[in-house]
Amino acid sequence: MRHPSRRQYLAVFLALAALTVVEVAAATLTGVSKGVMVTALVALAVTKAALVGLFFMHLRSETPVLKATVIVPMSLPALFAAVLVAEAVWRAGS
Amino acid sequence: MSVASSALTHAPPSFARDAQFGTATPGKIGMWIFLVSDALTFAGLLISYGALRGGAATWRHAGEPALGVNFTAGLTFLLICSSVTMVLAYAAAAEGHRSRASFWLALTALGGVLFLGGQYQEYFGIWSAGLTREGLVFGQSAYASTFYVVTSFHGAHVLSGVIYILATLVAWMRGRAGAGHVELLGLFWHFVDLVWILVFTFVYLIP
Repeated sequence: MRHPSRRQYLAVFLALAALTVVEVAAATLTGVSKGVMVTALVALAVTKAALVGLFFMHLRSETPVLKATVIVPMSLPALFAAVLVAEAVWRAGS
Repeated sequence: MSVASSALTHAPPSFARDAQFGTATPGKIGMWIFLVSDALTFAGLLISYGALRGGAATWRHAGEPALGVNFTAGLTFLLICSSVTMVLAYAAAAEGHRSRASFWLALTALGGVLFLGGQYQEYFGIWSAGLTREGLVFGQSAYASTFYVVTSFHGAHVLSGVIYILATLVAWMRGRAGAGHVELLGLFWHFVDLVWILVFTFVYLIP
């Protein structure tokens, strides 16, 4: 199994740092609808989490079965969250 | 190479290739399964947070302080740095560089301690008033309670991680741990970083 090189680790670190700066800047933007902002912030967070998982945790170089063992159960809560939070928002508005 | 001999040489343990899991060790598969179960616990907390917040007419009540985004962004950057020092510790361990791996492990533990210090400052204040003195009281509102439950549960993971790092560091320096142990430790520590990335977004950044 090949793990990332030190240069790749450094590149991921720089990407994570840059994305954190973008996140904080995006969160302070004015004149953007809440829906757009939440979508952008969640997309940025998921991108950062994926970088950590794939490169720092070496998931990228694992077998498809091990990847699925990890990624499928970790992704399902996002679906539950979308349904439950949307229901809570709908209930509060009705 | 057997697991026992790999601990002595510091090389990562290698197993015969498995059809499903390749050369992943049983320890690594076990750690991943633990992390998945831990992730589901965090997911439960974050989903509860989202449902409570989404259903609340008023989330932050008058008199309750806003959360410090810039300070916490600094803590986020600190955890990212500690993830880098952890991968460098593993790389050094896999190459058999005993003192270099020890250095990076110690630096990673320091990053965790500094994060915990930052969290203490945020809660109780060291050089300025903390949230508890500014009016964010546990049990007073869903905003306060979910904040403390989610962030302190994560903080408990950081504390566990620091203890785990120090225990592995001692074992590594005594020659009783190999690169495989450092890799498993790294999985846990990166998971703590990964979860914080999500907590930072959901609790601090989303308006």
